[in-house]
Amino acid sequence: MNQTQITSLIACSVAAFCARAADIPNRPEMLKYPALNFSPPDAKQFRVALKAGPVAYVVPDRELPLVNISILVRTGDYLDPAGKEGLAGMTGYLLARGGSASKRAEDLEERLAFLAASLNSAVSDTQGSVSLNLLSKDLDEGFAMLREVLTAPRFQDDKLALRKQQSLQAMKQRNDDAADIEQRERRFLAYGDGFYFNRHSTQASLDSITRADLEAFHKRWFHPKNFVVAVNGDFDASAMTARLEKLFAAWPFTGEVPPPIPTDRKFAAPGVYVVDKEVNQGRVTLMLPGIQRDDPDYQAAQVMNDILGGGGFTSRIMNRVRSDEGLAYSAGSGFPGGVYHPMSFLAAFQSKSRTVAYATSIVLEEIKKIAAETVTDEELTTTKNQFIETFPRTFMTKGATAGAFASDEFTGRFAKDPDYWKNYRTKIDAVTKADVQRVAKKFLTADKMVILVVGTKEEILKGHPDHPVKLESLAGGRLVDQPLRDPLTMKPAAK
Amino acid sequence: MNSKLFSLCLVLALFTLSARAQQVPVIEKTLSNGMRLLLLPRHDEPTVAGGWVVHVGSANERPGITGIAHLFEHMMFKGTPTLGTKDFKKDVEIINEQERVRDLMRKEEANMRTLWRRGQIADLQNPDTWTARYKELQAQFKKLVDAQREILVKNEFDRIYTANGGSMMNAYTSHDVTVYFITVPANKLELWMWMESERLLRPVFREFYAERDVVFEERRMRTESTPTGRIEETFWAMFWESHPYSWPVVGWPSDIPAITKKQADEFYALYYAPQNLTTVLVGDFKVEEATALAEKYLGRIPRGKEEAPDVVTLEIKQPAEKRLDGDADTNPQVDIMWHTPAFGHPDTYALSVLAQILSTRTGRLYKGLVLSSKVATQAYAQQHTMRWASLFNVGGELTDGKLPVELEAGLLAEIEKVKTVDVPAEELQKVKNNFAAGEYRKLANNHAIMQALLRYDGLGRWQEINEAGPKLQAVTAADVRRVANTYLTKENRNVATIVRKAGKSASDDPDLAGLSPQQLPAVRQFLGRLKEQKSVEQLKTQLKQMEEQSGRADAKNQQFLNILKKKTAERIAELERK
Repeated sequence: MNQTQITSLIACSVAAFCARAADIPNRPEMLKYPALNFSPPDAKQFRVALKAGPVAYVVPDRELPLVNISILVRTGDYLDPAGKEGLAGMTGYLLARGGSASKRAEDLEERLAFLAASLNSAVSDTQGSVSLNLLSKDLDEGFAMLREVLTAPRFQDDKLALRKQQSLQAMKQRNDDAADIEQRERRFLAYGDGFYFNRHSTQASLDSITRADLEAFHKRWFHPKNFVVAVNGDFDASAMTARLEKLFAAWPFTGEVPPPIPTDRKFAAPGVYVVDKEVNQGRVTLMLPGIQRDDPDYQAAQVMNDILGGGGFTSRIMNRVRSDEGLAYSAGSGFPGGVYHPMSFLAAFQSKSRTVAYATSIVLEEIKKIAAETVTDEELTTTKNQFIETFPRTFMTKGATAGAFASDEFTGRFAKDPDYWKNYRTKIDAVTKADVQRVAKKFLTADKMVILVVGTKEEILKGHPDHPVKLESLAGGRLVDQPLRDPLTMKPAAK
Repeated sequence: MNSKLFSLCLVLALFTLSARAQQVPVIEKTLSNGMRLLLLPRHDEPTVAGGWVVHVGSANERPGITGIAHLFEHMMFKGTPTLGTKDFKKDVEIINEQERVRDLMRKEEANMRTLWRRGQIADLQNPDTWTARYKELQAQFKKLVDAQREILVKNEFDRIYTANGGSMMNAYTSHDVTVYFITVPANKLELWMWMESERLLRPVFREFYAERDVVFEERRMRTESTPTGRIEETFWAMFWESHPYSWPVVGWPSDIPAITKKQADEFYALYYAPQNLTTVLVGDFKVEEATALAEKYLGRIPRGKEEAPDVVTLEIKQPAEKRLDGDADTNPQVDIMWHTPAFGHPDTYALSVLAQILSTRTGRLYKGLVLSSKVATQAYAQQHTMRWASLFNVGGELTDGKLPVELEAGLLAEIEKVKTVDVPAEELQKVKNNFAAGEYRKLANNHAIMQALLRYDGLGRWQEINEAGPKLQAVTAADVRRVANTYLTKENRNVATIVRKAGKSASDDPDLAGLSPQQLPAVRQFLGRLKEQKSVEQLKTQLKQMEEQSGRADAKNQQFLNILKKKTAERIAELERK
């Protein structure tokens, strides 16, 4: 009874639009869609070269009473002095957390919390960042605090001591999770011990870091000439530009322009490298030297990788390792394209110890296959469509727009290729099946393959009775014991 | 004085702000088959975020089929009669034949469980120990899988979305709900309707058994091969004594491989009926068009014959504190949970405010335990509100050299304070200001709003997206104190302390590096007592005794005693410095 009532009510309210289920086609290909025209925003429209030094991308958005500002800084872990590994990260963290000239850390935190504002700072491999998100009514006070943190951080002693203790304890966890071990050893194998990625902090380097070190590091790099700014939210563009001029004007110290980012990587010799760690699931990464983002083959490599393992359920590795065989929950590949030097190609999955070798052999097979045979028309179209149709999401919010442009400015892409986004879809669309095979042959050189396995070595080497493939036989038959590292010194532990 | 005045101004300013805060203007409809539809047009990006929530989670399961709700989440991507196969007739034949072989395998699995109970099989998951009969059936089954693979169109469901610009397609299962979502270009709303209604109307659970293996790998990845996964699972299961929240969402390891397709079919018919579902669309569309499309496509799914049953088992009131003391490959930590009321209960808001007072860098736990007494390096608090019952949780990681008992006492002391003294007005206002600003931040993009609506509807009331804000603002200091006294009691409490597992990678103190796993716990216990010892006199006597002993000890014990002596001497020096 009740149900009939509901039904008739609905039938009335939507009667005008109500089509019958009989119109529903059998296959989704038969549906017709209205056209969707999308042009990416133009960076120049938001770009402001501030008199005070930095380039800023100023993107107003009046929907909500919030403002978000993010300052990218030309600095990075690669600038850690020898013996003081961890200094960049420590400076980055304590910039916002250690107080400022007029405010003790506790007072600064309390004030920010009361305003429901979030101020954060960090330094990663090749970039620093300081960001502030706050209600637009608090802009005056917020920007004053931001300026003081940027120009006169306090680096309070007790906060430095606490951060050191937290870092030391985090260091002690370095060998606890197989995923962390895998993450770390990937970089050792793909870039070499001496590369900046692999200069880890140690107990000794942490101990040696003093407040004077933080102050020197800060004064050296945190200067407007090293800044790129992204700001979006509830403001008028010209008013915000005036605010930014004030924020960066008359900097109290001069600073330096950092040296270029090192490119002297060393890729390990081919082989299977095993870290023995007692867990019931092995973690596997297959690696090759990789590509740089401004390589003319970059777009073709992206399309190729997507078909191979980057495209989730639509990709070959996922289909075979997960859907066909049920050997892994997550399986796929990545071909990131480095900004300053090539970044490694990698394919990865996790499988129970006994099926590690078998699943690895399947991934290797797929890597070889995509170089040996052309992909299908359907695969190519699906993948290209995906890149093209999801393209608008790059600019889905004003924050994303400001962020993408600032990042291009920071990494030099805007200077080198100002029409990158304008041409993005055309370049993807131009990739052919032959291109895909050509780049697969060029970059997926199976004879250079480095395979990292983290797991219970004894069980993994047993293999599976139904799948008699041996781990030792993959990657040229070279099986290397990759020792765990002492978490506090990062020296390989003696076996 | 000055700061007080200022904060008063700010309170006023915020008051006007929250009055300005937009309500999220959701339009609610009910389709002819009982499915509910929540629509929120937003035109600032050319996409539509679409999702649906099924009001079923692991709490609706029973022993023997734990993990089935989550397994479904995986099976819903496997296709339909037209998607995923080149020959549906043959596909069905093979699926039926697979079930026949699986029935025989299940008989043999029962046999193997018997052998395991009698100690004749050591590990049911070790393929070396499976019976010959089982291996033979497995080979038969594999042939059928290979035959099916010939006619499969792999992951076609995903491929169609991908080719049409679908992104962020995923799903999740919790104790309360199962949620599916994707974002499509704004012109592809009809595709979304076609695809989602098709898989709900006539899903085909092909590759069912391979997918069970995938789920088992997911369990290994998330729970079994992480440092604290298993111990957290155990603490959770201990916390919920009678309630079906007790078992993990991913299911018990014995149940995942035992779930049958027949059980899956029954589960689907009961819980995936349209009247048990809510669909949410947020983005660039017109309400009238979306409603008509929803009726045309989603409305064609027949209403379920039966209504999904309520979860009737209530969590039984705890008669006494429960404790878990374990070790794992992790830094030492303490975790405390109390039972609190379910979503919709008015006290959950005061509990959420309380959690905020305790957590964050300017919260009481961080100030009291990390900055002041330095017993912890990290601390947290949260009210975890769920559909059938909730919990309040505090915890932290110990500073090196501190004992779990010290952190536990510190955490409980902070709880005692809120029970006895009202939270000052300014502190309460700080927390409320953050909830108020959160009202804007939650509106960041289509996807985020869709997720919030799916979550609130899953909890029982989507209107929460608009109602939670004012309710949180209305919480008083007296409310906070009252809920702390009502729920955060000793007999309602569960405490887990985890210390680092001895032996492997235990280089937290380089002095202890050479000790055997047998010696380590003894040294640690000694070090713990040493910290408590405040009398220099007694320590000196102790040191003397050890020196006498060390003259008589053998080489192995010598090292052990040397460490004890060194640490005692260090403690004496430390006390004398003070």
